[in-house]
Amino acid sequence: MTQRRGITRRSFVTAAAGAALAPQILVRGAYGQDKNRVVFVSEESNPKAIAVYEKINADFEKDTGIKVTMEYPGFANIAKRVATLIAAGTPPEIVWYGAGQAMNLALENQLTDVGDLVKALKVPDNQRMIFKGADRSIPTSQQFVYGWARGDLLKEKKLDAPKGWDDYLKVAKALTDAPKMYGCIVPSAETGASTLLLETMFMKNNVHWFDWNAGKKEYEVSLDKGDNRKRAIETLDYLNELHKFSPEASNYNWGELMSTYVAEKAATSWYVGARLLEQVNANNARIADATVPFELPRKLTDHYYLSIQGFHILEKSNVEGAKKYVRYFMEHPSLIGWYHAVPLHIIPASRDMLRSSKYQDNPVIQKRMDVLKFIDSVWGKGVPLYYWDGKELNPYIGLYHNENLAGWMLAARNIKGMKSDAVVTEAAEQVRKKMRRAG
Amino acid sequence: VSQRAEQRWWIAGTTAPAVLFLALVAYLPILYAVGLSFAKKTAFSPVTTFSGLRNYRLIFEEPDLWNAVWRSVVFTVGAVAVQLVLGLVAALLLNQAFRGQTFVRSIFVLPYLLPTIVVALVFQWLLNQEYGVLNQILMQVGLLARPINFLGGLDTAMWSVIATSGWQYGSFATLLILARLQAINPKLYEAARVSGAGPLRCFWDVTLPQLRTTLVLVALLRGIWMFNKFDTIWLMTHGGPLKATETLPIYAYRLAFEDFDFGMAAAVCSVMFLLLVAGAVVYFKVFDPSREVEVGR
Repeated sequence: MTQRRGITRRSFVTAAAGAALAPQILVRGAYGQDKNRVVFVSEESNPKAIAVYEKINADFEKDTGIKVTMEYPGFANIAKRVATLIAAGTPPEIVWYGAGQAMNLALENQLTDVGDLVKALKVPDNQRMIFKGADRSIPTSQQFVYGWARGDLLKEKKLDAPKGWDDYLKVAKALTDAPKMYGCIVPSAETGASTLLLETMFMKNNVHWFDWNAGKKEYEVSLDKGDNRKRAIETLDYLNELHKFSPEASNYNWGELMSTYVAEKAATSWYVGARLLEQVNANNARIADATVPFELPRKLTDHYYLSIQGFHILEKSNVEGAKKYVRYFMEHPSLIGWYHAVPLHIIPASRDMLRSSKYQDNPVIQKRMDVLKFIDSVWGKGVPLYYWDGKELNPYIGLYHNENLAGWMLAARNIKGMKSDAVVTEAAEQVRKKMRRAG
Repeated sequence: VSQRAEQRWWIAGTTAPAVLFLALVAYLPILYAVGLSFAKKTAFSPVTTFSGLRNYRLIFEEPDLWNAVWRSVVFTVGAVAVQLVLGLVAALLLNQAFRGQTFVRSIFVLPYLLPTIVVALVFQWLLNQEYGVLNQILMQVGLLARPINFLGGLDTAMWSVIATSGWQYGSFATLLILARLQAINPKLYEAARVSGAGPLRCFWDVTLPQLRTTLVLVALLRGIWMFNKFDTIWLMTHGGPLKATETLPIYAYRLAFEDFDFGMAAAVCSVMFLLLVAGAVVYFKVFDPSREVEVGR
């Protein structure tokens, strides 16, 4: 005689939990183990760039049988998207974005060693990102921080593009006719734009956030110490002076840097790359030819903030497929179309490529060879933030950079009216506090 | 099977899907967030480590949390007050008989139907320092010599987001108050008038007491929603300038997606949750909604 087993509360809950978790486990298992699939999250979502991706991906699938699934979360959301995918246990194979952002992944041991690709693709030494003795980034392109000015207005006032700090102040003052026109833009908000301006101007004045302690073999905060402190205060005071010839800019970010210039409310602006010029071309062609690049003025050095973008391959994913794809992408004939998606903005990692006729064979570049020559003239002077304070990769830059602490410093000085001395002290303390918190 | 047992099964069976759905979409995420608040969890690692009360200790040590609580209170009280005043005035006007009443009423509801992104962009444009319509008008009529930085000013940003939220959600209050106004027994007004009450006295002694329940309800609902408000503030000011509009949800968001510290962000969210629960308990104790509804009938 068989006995019927009743469904107990425990067996019901166990079965339900099992049923709920099974697809999750299966999906997680499928990722990374599927050798015929690569998930690629890209920051670049320009329609022309997307068309190139589609072409290369179709060819790649035809040649290798590996399907590439693209995601375009955009500049503002890519870090969140990557974090979500990792937290869900389904890391993508490839992420294309700034190496500075990717450093966050490297620090959590999420990036695989790509030394073989770096060697094969002959990546210049100054663009490598090395963590725990291994390359973690395959650079494709870079962007420099530099200024844009109305050449016609400079000519009218018989002025040259500024070279030093005093020049810049003189130019900004001469071109200001507030509130109709401002001579410069000094964004003073807790935004990326404000942060990058101060970080670049710190570089121009040789200000370091950290010093390498050779004995302890680690970085220590030095912003509020010795000459650094003096120079940091000097830089903040200088930007406060310059701010008098700028819109208040207490809520400015990247969009406002471009729109204020395009709307002819500012005679000079600045940007990371040539997207500002693209916007001028698209929205106010009248001032396009008069818009000329200039190096943000130097005080003690010619360095500037260098943003390097590239491919980053995640551990625990289909690493082999991803590496195959990156190599295929970099050697594909359509790659040049990708560089031309936003001409002069996406600058090739290789100077040879920049100088090649293949790269220069583009109507926008042909029309603005002066911009290309400018880029060539400042080539090699940029430094990525994570190597600014020393030869070792600085793992702490995220503690001030991600949170736009430099933007806070500018806002505290220019909007709240705090003394530069107090601003520097508080900023250094904030970084120390975060280091303690991070353990 | 007894009828009672059958009835029990019937109740359990019909409510089970809703309870299960609620558990999945509401309680489970709350439990997960509370659990996460006791863990060290960064955004770029799948590893979660138990850290006890560390996150709570860290956030309570920071003045940022208390400042954000204070700003949340200011924003909530300000926005709800604007919504109630706007809603009451609009409802009183719309309760009058006039030609085109239906059309005007539908116009008043419009702001509530607009997506927040649209409202935020429109107000950003209206309040912009360089090319904003409001500054332009104020300068043209000679009230201003220089434009005001409404959204970027330390003293003006909070008022700007309060005004925007007040405008957008005032129509929600209008709807509820208008519905209640139409349900007030006209005999109460007749009795008041017979006793010699003028329009102001009628409003004070008849309309307001009759609206009490609705006003309290609107204040509670809007209060909870405003305390949790993220989108309008984020879209208009990103919590700036210099944290002048950084309320608790913005603070939590920054911890999660700028500091990439999910554990601390979860701790802030848990504190927010507790504050709201405490608010709800006080509400139920002080106002006793069931009694309020009885009175309102």
